[in-house]
Amino acid sequence: MVTKTEETQLNRLENQVDNGGGGAWDYLCLVRKLKVRRSQKVLKHGLSILNDPKQRSSLGADEWTLYEQVAVAAMDCQCLDVAKDCTKVLRKRFPDSKRVGRLEAMLFEAKGSWDLAEKAYASLLEDNPLDQVIHKRRVAMAKAQGNISVAIDWLNKYLETFMADHDAWRELAEIYVSLQMYKQAAFCYEELILSQPTVPLYHLAYADVLYTLGGLENLQTAKKYYASTIDLTGGKNTRALFGICLCASAITQLTKGKSKEEKEGSQLQSLAAKVLEKDYKQRAPDKLPQLTTALKSLTLSS
Amino acid sequence: MAEDLVLDTAIRDWVLIPLSVVMVLIGVLRYFVSKLMHSSQTPDAKIVKEGQVIVRARSLRAGANFIPSKAFRARKIYFCNEENGLLFVPKGQGQNPQAQMFSDPNMAMDMMKKNLSMIIPQTLTFAWVNFFFSGFVAAKIPFPLTQRFRSMLQNGIDLSTVDVSYVSSRSWYFLNLFGLRGLFSLILGEENAVDDTQRMMQMGGFGFDPSKGLSAEKDNLDITQHDWALPNFEHRAEAVLRKVIS
Repeated sequence: MVTKTEETQLNRLENQVDNGGGGAWDYLCLVRKLKVRRSQKVLKHGLSILNDPKQRSSLGADEWTLYEQVAVAAMDCQCLDVAKDCTKVLRKRFPDSKRVGRLEAMLFEAKGSWDLAEKAYASLLEDNPLDQVIHKRRVAMAKAQGNISVAIDWLNKYLETFMADHDAWRELAEIYVSLQMYKQAAFCYEELILSQPTVPLYHLAYADVLYTLGGLENLQTAKKYYASTIDLTGGKNTRALFGICLCASAITQLTKGKSKEEKEGSQLQSLAAKVLEKDYKQRAPDKLPQLTTALKSLTLSS
Repeated sequence: MAEDLVLDTAIRDWVLIPLSVVMVLIGVLRYFVSKLMHSSQTPDAKIVKEGQVIVRARSLRAGANFIPSKAFRARKIYFCNEENGLLFVPKGQGQNPQAQMFSDPNMAMDMMKKNLSMIIPQTLTFAWVNFFFSGFVAAKIPFPLTQRFRSMLQNGIDLSTVDVSYVSSRSWYFLNLFGLRGLFSLILGEENAVDDTQRMMQMGGFGFDPSKGLSAEKDNLDITQHDWALPNFEHRAEAVLRKVIS
């Protein structure tokens, strides 16, 4: 995760580099450290360093890291010639490196020659079956080809061994949501909440999935998770506020006619509605009428 | 001892300085030899998986109150059941590290290499110092010290009458052996320093048993009570929203 201070630092550096203020190498280092995806900038500034022999040699051993970084960025931008050149230089320097082998496989992948890439990855995995990056590349490749079910298979296999990798869980959850397999997605989001209990985004996504699943129990749980999202974000998350209103109205619809009425829930709903109205008044006054009609329809149906 | 001992300058030129120089050179040489013999060992899939299981079980224990009780129970059973739970280690299957070491030739090889690069040069230099320089008083510390330091500074001289501030050659060897770390980190780079003391410590702690970690984690998880925290959040969210409105 990139924190706010890191992001502002990155943006400041990027601005500086873009306007010719120097510090390109520092910028590239920061991009690498934070693992953010700014391929075009990386390609531009990285190439300008690589094409200048004096600057390049002043990097020392870091030169090769830069070649790798630029190669990956070039693949991302579909500048395959650049990527090819970088990979060639690296291959010349490190004739039997696995890391360069990975780059070459990625180059195949970028070209779209899936079979060759698959073969290359498979042979790399044979040498080192625990290479996480290669496992992930395979998933990405399956996804790029549109074989979602294959991607799920790979991901599940990967998670069997590396079950503490929450990024993989997140990817799996998003894939399941896209396939409308909500029960599986809910499991993945539970796993994410377990690994990072204070990230409101996971609570929100879990609540969304539960609300979509429906049923009284799920709706009540969903409402609780919307509430926790509100608590964790300090009431600034509009989606969670809407979620509370929707859940409350759906719950009252389901429990209508039954004797046990839940009074405490209604208060949260009305509060959420009020906050929503206040927010809209401040930020989008022209949409306020729409909001009021929508909220009214929710309360009317109860 | 009434008058001070006068040390011959030849001792400085032929004992003190050569000893230090040789120690530094041996340290550097050993660094390169160990780098040469270093083999990047690929971790065993089973060990990696066990580590990951422990991490996941730990996060389940820590975040238990954030997921619904149904989900928690399902996971607890998945981890802890007595048939094929992830954390369950069948009795008698926990290998003891000694047997594991002998069954895995790679491990023994690694140990050998470690020993080769550490113990052999050390014994050799010690023998060399003992043979050539035993019994010299090699240096004098410019301040007085108490009797307790005698065993540290005058190793190899069994004379109680010599003032403690004199350092014997064998003690000078030991001081160099343990005190050159700072110099090595200057010469070889920060993390490459050859640290004998640390290596010795590592030798003692050899043989960590992952199955112990598994069963300990299982016990921890077994006694974890589930107390869903989410109902509280509704009240807290209400309070937050009230604050926003007001």
